[in-house]
Amino acid sequence: MLHYITRRILGTIPVIILISLLVFMLVQFAPGDPADLLLSDEATPEDIAAARERWGLNQPVYVQYWKFLVAALQGDLGTSFRYADPVLHMIGDRLPATIELAAVAIFIAVIIGVPLGVWAGARPNSWVDNVGSFFGFFGISMPSFWFGIMMILIVSGFLNLLPSAGRNTYGIADDPITGFYILDSLLHWNWKAVWDGLSYIILPAIALGTNMLGILMRVTRSSVLEVMHEDLVRTARAKGLSERRVLWRHAVRNALIPIITVVGLELGTLLSGSIIVETVFSWPGSGFLLIEAINSRDYPLITGTVLAYTLMFVVINLTIDILYAAIDPRIRFGK
Amino acid sequence: MRRLRLKTGAVIGAAALTMGAAIINPATAQTRVTVGATETISSHNPHGDSISMGYGIWCQVYGCLGYFDFASGAYKGMLAERWETDSKDPNVWTFYLRKGLKRQVDGKELTSADVIHSFWRMKNDKQSRQTQNVKHVAKTEAIDKYTVRVTTKKPTAPLLEFLFDRVMITGKDLYDKHGARTADRKYPYGWGPYKLKKIDIGQRIVLEKDPSNPWAKASMPDELIFRVMRESEQRVTALLNNEVQIAQFIPPHLANRVSKAKNANLVPTSSVELMFLAMSPKFKPWDNPVLRKAVCHAINRDGIIKAILKDQAQRLDAPIGPGQYGYDPKAAAAMKVDYNVAKAKAMIEKAGLKGTKVALSTPVGRYVNDKQVTESMIPMLKAIGLDASLKTPEWPTLWANVQKGKVPFYYMGRGGVVDPSPAFAQYFETGGSPRIGFSSKKVDALLQQERATFDPEKRKAVLNQAFAEIVKAQPACFMWRHKLLYGISKKVAYKPTPTGRIWGSDIVVK
Repeated sequence: MLHYITRRILGTIPVIILISLLVFMLVQFAPGDPADLLLSDEATPEDIAAARERWGLNQPVYVQYWKFLVAALQGDLGTSFRYADPVLHMIGDRLPATIELAAVAIFIAVIIGVPLGVWAGARPNSWVDNVGSFFGFFGISMPSFWFGIMMILIVSGFLNLLPSAGRNTYGIADDPITGFYILDSLLHWNWKAVWDGLSYIILPAIALGTNMLGILMRVTRSSVLEVMHEDLVRTARAKGLSERRVLWRHAVRNALIPIITVVGLELGTLLSGSIIVETVFSWPGSGFLLIEAINSRDYPLITGTVLAYTLMFVVINLTIDILYAAIDPRIRFGK
Repeated sequence: MRRLRLKTGAVIGAAALTMGAAIINPATAQTRVTVGATETISSHNPHGDSISMGYGIWCQVYGCLGYFDFASGAYKGMLAERWETDSKDPNVWTFYLRKGLKRQVDGKELTSADVIHSFWRMKNDKQSRQTQNVKHVAKTEAIDKYTVRVTTKKPTAPLLEFLFDRVMITGKDLYDKHGARTADRKYPYGWGPYKLKKIDIGQRIVLEKDPSNPWAKASMPDELIFRVMRESEQRVTALLNNEVQIAQFIPPHLANRVSKAKNANLVPTSSVELMFLAMSPKFKPWDNPVLRKAVCHAINRDGIIKAILKDQAQRLDAPIGPGQYGYDPKAAAAMKVDYNVAKAKAMIEKAGLKGTKVALSTPVGRYVNDKQVTESMIPMLKAIGLDASLKTPEWPTLWANVQKGKVPFYYMGRGGVVDPSPAFAQYFETGGSPRIGFSSKKVDALLQQERATFDPEKRKAVLNQAFAEIVKAQPACFMWRHKLLYGISKKVAYKPTPTGRIWGSDIVVK
């Protein structure tokens, strides 16, 4: 197992270097100059030339990339043109908000999608199956940005139940410990802040998690449906176990592998989806940061944020592979 | 049992939502006003941004020399009590600082050293994006503890446009002791009426009133929060929800929702952003003045304002409009270009330009209904015989190309035009910038002359002569100024300014 993990980690290094090269080149060759965009309307050609010089944009692209790579290997992703802060520091500041949002979205998707799929799979063509399928298709076909705006309009605007944007209310939270607002509020035993955090995260998390919920529901349904016809279920029933026990202890456990695969795959989609949802809800995460960076052609910040996303993808995929072995003892790595 | 569980779940859910709802209205605190803003400052450095809202925020925290008062149409002093130009040397300006102004927190008095340091920092700080504001300044000297002499490179009558509410006065002692980064982050003390309480970059900026400050009035909100809300739908919803009390820049299609709301009013104000169609004479066929003139006659500005901008714009007859420095209604009437399709068509036919291909570039989503506005211009251009098409590149691409003078025909706005001198020099003076590719010796001479004319009436007259020359050559058709629509809670009285800056001193909490 250790050998397998080491091999996988080493295998990611060229992937990350290649992606950094690709992103670096793409942003460099995209039209639009950071100096033009970041300086004022009134900036003179001399101001623009000075900014380009200061940011090293006058150097050949390969020199810029080499400098970036050498610095990145030393843990320095450069300094943001726009914010004048170290990129690593900025990503570290924003990432907890994205992870927190993704975690709640997964939680919503799993606690609703999986049981709905199990019930639908256990009782095909029943009303539970029909209702579940409706939610499944709804989730799959609903664009998250549109669903988000609709929720803002209805839940925040019409019903006035939850806040429309942002991450928290100013003045309620204590000093951050981990950067995860809800977790920090729990650690401080600040229940008002916990509710505050939840009230802000519910809408974006639903908007982000609905698609995953739909997919999970559909996959769980077909996986359970398949397992329910297998010998192990027949054996469990023959042993006289209750239908509930047969379903949850035997069928669901065996149906988990494709579900976990989908969760793993969807985590990547969730992260990229967060870029849109964060923009719609002004959620101050790394996705929102990336959009702002792209709009101002903040090269170091774009490259740094995309690299952070790449790393997250790699870690998620690795984790999922390791989880396979934990769930199904038949799977052994390196053989 | 199952029913009991469902009931319990429903009760918990409802309680959660109720509690959630109860805590989302923080702005009901009597003296906290939250602004749903479209922009955000991107650093703790007061010279690190060059955006309208940023200038307003920093000026309220650190203090600035003065500001333009739209109510009286004149510059007013803030940290500078008064100022004068030297009668013998037009390059010399003297600013007299208010005496006894105490800094927030530590009570340090404002002196000339702080002002000189701020000019220096604005020019030399590597993060400064405001160097253009001090480009005309050759040197600054302290005459005494409260008097600063500023010498310009050339006579610059509109100097206050560059300096007032744009040069933030930061403490020299704090900079010397802690360095820029620490001073900005840990000791952001200034002489303005609000203390900087917190910046969550990309999320919010929180200001707290300093009651001991001479500009801090009791009616002003104790806390002023700027919340970043880029989406207009979000700002309107948040206003109607009481999450924010001031929502910036409501687009015309959402205006009805605000005006019909029970808890808010829709308040329009004119802007100082000029919208225009630029036609660069550097490119063919735009080097032909007949084509440029015909295009200006072809655009039905009133029709567009009524149908697409829902009357939320003011037509520009001259390059500038009422309220902007130098506006003269008589001169403007003489410069008016009428909507006359027959005339435009005849001009195009006579010049042999029928069927000429022209491509209009427009930003999308940057200005109010920009795409719809320019889409409506295409049939108007076709009606006079041009083979017109629309290009919609993303903003960074378009703007970079405009800055480099690579776009022949485009729809654009120029903001912050209080005194038109800097904007017109930038667009229409030879060497000002490559954006419009226009060059005229007559216009150059007039623009140089107005900058060297210190008598306001004479200067306004010269400015209008320059405007007339520009309109005659028509490298641009001046379209309109959008009205800025604000949603204002009924719990707050506020009259927005045309620059988009939001001053706590203008807000009254009812």
